[in-house]
Amino acid sequence: MSTHTSSTQGLPFSPLRGSPLSASPKGQLNSSKYPYRVFLGLARWWRAVVEQSPQYLSAVLGAIPFLALVAIVIILFHEAFPAIKVNGGGFVTHSKWSVGSEYANPIRRDGVATPVGATYGAWPLILGTLEASALALIIAVPVSLLSALIVVEKLSARASRWVGVFLEILVGIPSVIYGLWGALTLGPFLAHHLAPIANHIPNVPILRFFRGPTYNGEGLLTAGVVLGIMIIPIIASTARDLIRQVPASLKDGGRAIGMTDFEVSRKVIWPWIKSGIVGATFLGLGRALGETMAVLMTCGAVLGTTAHSIFSNMNTIAATIVSQLDSAQTDGTGFAVRSLAELGCILIVITLICNIGAKLLLSRATHDTTTT
Amino acid sequence: MTQRPPSPALDQLNKKRRFKDRLLWGIAACALIVIVIPIIWIISQVVSKAIPHMSMSVLLTNTIGNGGGLKQAIVGSITLLVLVGAIAGVTGIGAGIYIARYAPRAIAGFLRSTVEILAGVPSIVVGFVGYIALVVGSHWSFSIWAATIVLSAMVVPYIAKATEVSLRGVSDSLREAGEAIGLRDSLVLRKILIKSASPGIVTGFILALAISVGETAPLLYTAGWSTTSPTFSLKHSPIGYLTYPVWTFYDFPVKSASYLALEAAMLLIILVIALIALAHLLRHKLSKNLPQSL
Amino acid sequence: MEITKDKAITQLDNFANVNQLLVAESPKAINVCDFTGRFHGRTVVDNINLEISDGSITAIVGPSGCGKSTFLRSINRMNDRISGWSRQGSIELYGEQVYANDVELLSLRRRVGMVFQRPNPFPMSIEENIACGVRAHRLAPRSHMKDIVRARLEEVGLWKAVSGRLKESPFQLSGGQQQLLCLARALAVQPEVLLLDEPTSSLDPISTQAVEELLKEFVPELTIVIVTHNLAQAKRIADNVAFFMNGSLVEFGSCEQIFDSPKEPETAKYVSGIFG
Repeated sequence: MSTHTSSTQGLPFSPLRGSPLSASPKGQLNSSKYPYRVFLGLARWWRAVVEQSPQYLSAVLGAIPFLALVAIVIILFHEAFPAIKVNGGGFVTHSKWSVGSEYANPIRRDGVATPVGATYGAWPLILGTLEASALALIIAVPVSLLSALIVVEKLSARASRWVGVFLEILVGIPSVIYGLWGALTLGPFLAHHLAPIANHIPNVPILRFFRGPTYNGEGLLTAGVVLGIMIIPIIASTARDLIRQVPASLKDGGRAIGMTDFEVSRKVIWPWIKSGIVGATFLGLGRALGETMAVLMTCGAVLGTTAHSIFSNMNTIAATIVSQLDSAQTDGTGFAVRSLAELGCILIVITLICNIGAKLLLSRATHDTTTT
Repeated sequence: MTQRPPSPALDQLNKKRRFKDRLLWGIAACALIVIVIPIIWIISQVVSKAIPHMSMSVLLTNTIGNGGGLKQAIVGSITLLVLVGAIAGVTGIGAGIYIARYAPRAIAGFLRSTVEILAGVPSIVVGFVGYIALVVGSHWSFSIWAATIVLSAMVVPYIAKATEVSLRGVSDSLREAGEAIGLRDSLVLRKILIKSASPGIVTGFILALAISVGETAPLLYTAGWSTTSPTFSLKHSPIGYLTYPVWTFYDFPVKSASYLALEAAMLLIILVIALIALAHLLRHKLSKNLPQSL
Repeated sequence: MEITKDKAITQLDNFANVNQLLVAESPKAINVCDFTGRFHGRTVVDNINLEISDGSITAIVGPSGCGKSTFLRSINRMNDRISGWSRQGSIELYGEQVYANDVELLSLRRRVGMVFQRPNPFPMSIEENIACGVRAHRLAPRSHMKDIVRARLEEVGLWKAVSGRLKESPFQLSGGQQQLLCLARALAVQPEVLLLDEPTSSLDPISTQAVEELLKEFVPELTIVIVTHNLAQAKRIADNVAFFMNGSLVEFGSCEQIFDSPKEPETAKYVSGIFG
């Protein structure tokens, strides 16, 4: 009885008391309960392997994203290199996009076999990419910013969780379905409702860009609106996280001197998140630039001309890569595919700049909040 | 403090400010509506157009030319989902663990940037590189494995990032408590860190899969298209998937084709929403036995 | 006593009796010799010399940022992983060098338990929280686990409250109960020394009292080192008190001596509440 009492009330005294700290074989005596002491050496070796394995295994896996990135860049530039050599600087300034003759014998230019008459100019594509993305940002940034603000400042935790779910659905809806909706529903809807206005816009510089026939709705405007909706979740969720980091004490300080909530947002929250929002915008831009299917299905996919009005058909780099790869395969010299690779290079460079810029701005924004 | 006389000018000003405040929050509320409208609009359009033509035969027959059903595409999409889930899941979670837990500070920072940059590479570029390197360069022709690799390269960064962020969110004191009773590192990682981070990891993983299932551009020139059930050989194994009919058939002048596009779109929406719901369900279930802060 | 006799624990007790002799002859529980610790070259713990006798409660007090937590964490080498940490001097645990090269960290930490400022139960069931350490160190066969869990929970007075929900998550418990669970978890691996880093700072007064009562029951079988902000707490439970300031040990003595007749003027100021 007494031993029992002591065992439950007092402490259990350690049979191990004074067992050595060192890993010497003597120390292993504290594993005397191991039924297989004979295999202790083996077991210890195995334990060391098991112990170290997550570290090495995960290091190997950790290298994979880096290797994938390097492989993508090298393969793309390697493929594009002959095209960069032949197309030269004209690639970014000219407008004509032609695979050349399939039937004539290929000629060699700068040591690269190309079909006769093959010319590649990506200017309309570059401009189109930038225009569509700019339009997307004009739509997405204010919507994202305001909704992030209201989510953090006004909505209950439950409601803001729901908004989070909606943003996830917005991310999750496949690009082709945005395209489908843009082409079959939104495009015709915009064309139908804007046509009466568009025809009465005065034919003067700047405003002229908003004038013209709306056709069936495929074109810059629809592509831009669809892109804008698609990048809202990226910008909104980043903005939301930024606004959440604004210290409550600062906001309370604003309220304590009688500012309205919106004045607090403008005078206290905005300066705090400004550079982060620019970062978020870049993040959204990066996504918009590279978006493919939705744009391809809504832009009208015209080659060789720049948009003269917001309703014109146009094209972007990403959409062109998809739409032209089929016909590029008919080029026996492979030069068409190489030129598409060159487009890919331009795209990857622009998006990398955007994403790195975004990362720098965002890390600075979060750094600011942690140090201040 | 002295009592100020009531000032009509001040009242006026306050009224104006209060009005402005309300107006601007009203506009912000409209912004919220702008987020919700497209979702409802898209889903209702697709579903209402697709439902009348929906029948069991869509699920049970393969595509024949530009008609028939979508059986092989459904099977193909789910096959790709499983393959990508396995490959990208292991890679992404492993990479996330390395960055959050084992990598030296400088390497962790470097890999973190790499992951973010890779996430920003446009999907079409990844697909195009897959086409150049695997389909043509390695003479695989259209291949289920080329598609799997390309999709995995796209979603690994999302999974790695989610894993890393959730692991870093686990409080140090929990890890130290494990170390303080002399648990081995691998045990601390498995039983304490990963378990605490699991809601975030699982959510990130499933949302990444939801994104992968809706991809089209990178698949067009790697997976090709097939009207029969998937085969698993390395070369010449094109595979059907749900996004293909949406893109290819949506503007076909043939009725059966455009119905197929709408039905595929509806199935995709159902699949994606089911995955998002699953992510939230699992998150809820997993975080039940964790401290509230996580 | 209705409770069934616990074989494992009786066995442990027998061992304990055998070891009593050893313990009596053993050197000081902890012997700190010229110990200096730095973070990124900045000295945080400065040249500490301290002997902590076996089976005593030692309270470490001092103003915030005086290095008392860092010093405590040096004893079971919790600082090793922190980047920028370097140290000189030695710490001995029952005559063995804690910082020797061949020290098995896992054994060290089994022998030197630690309880943290905030309750931090593991994300597993209440039962598992206690069992996992026992299992990891193979301290008892699986079949005895239930009894061990029960014994440890009884020790900290938590058994009644949780006996019906051993399989449930510990996060539904109150903060005080969670901290008691953490204490039970630390005790389950049979430590010789228990380090406590402000264990009651996030608890309510009643839970604080419960923890203090427990600590007093644990000596002299266990050697306890507790860092505390709360001078009254030090006075209530400590045998010896070490007063730290700016990383140095200003004064070390018995509880009465430190509070009633401090030798150093800083100590006198601190214990009388003039600063800190």
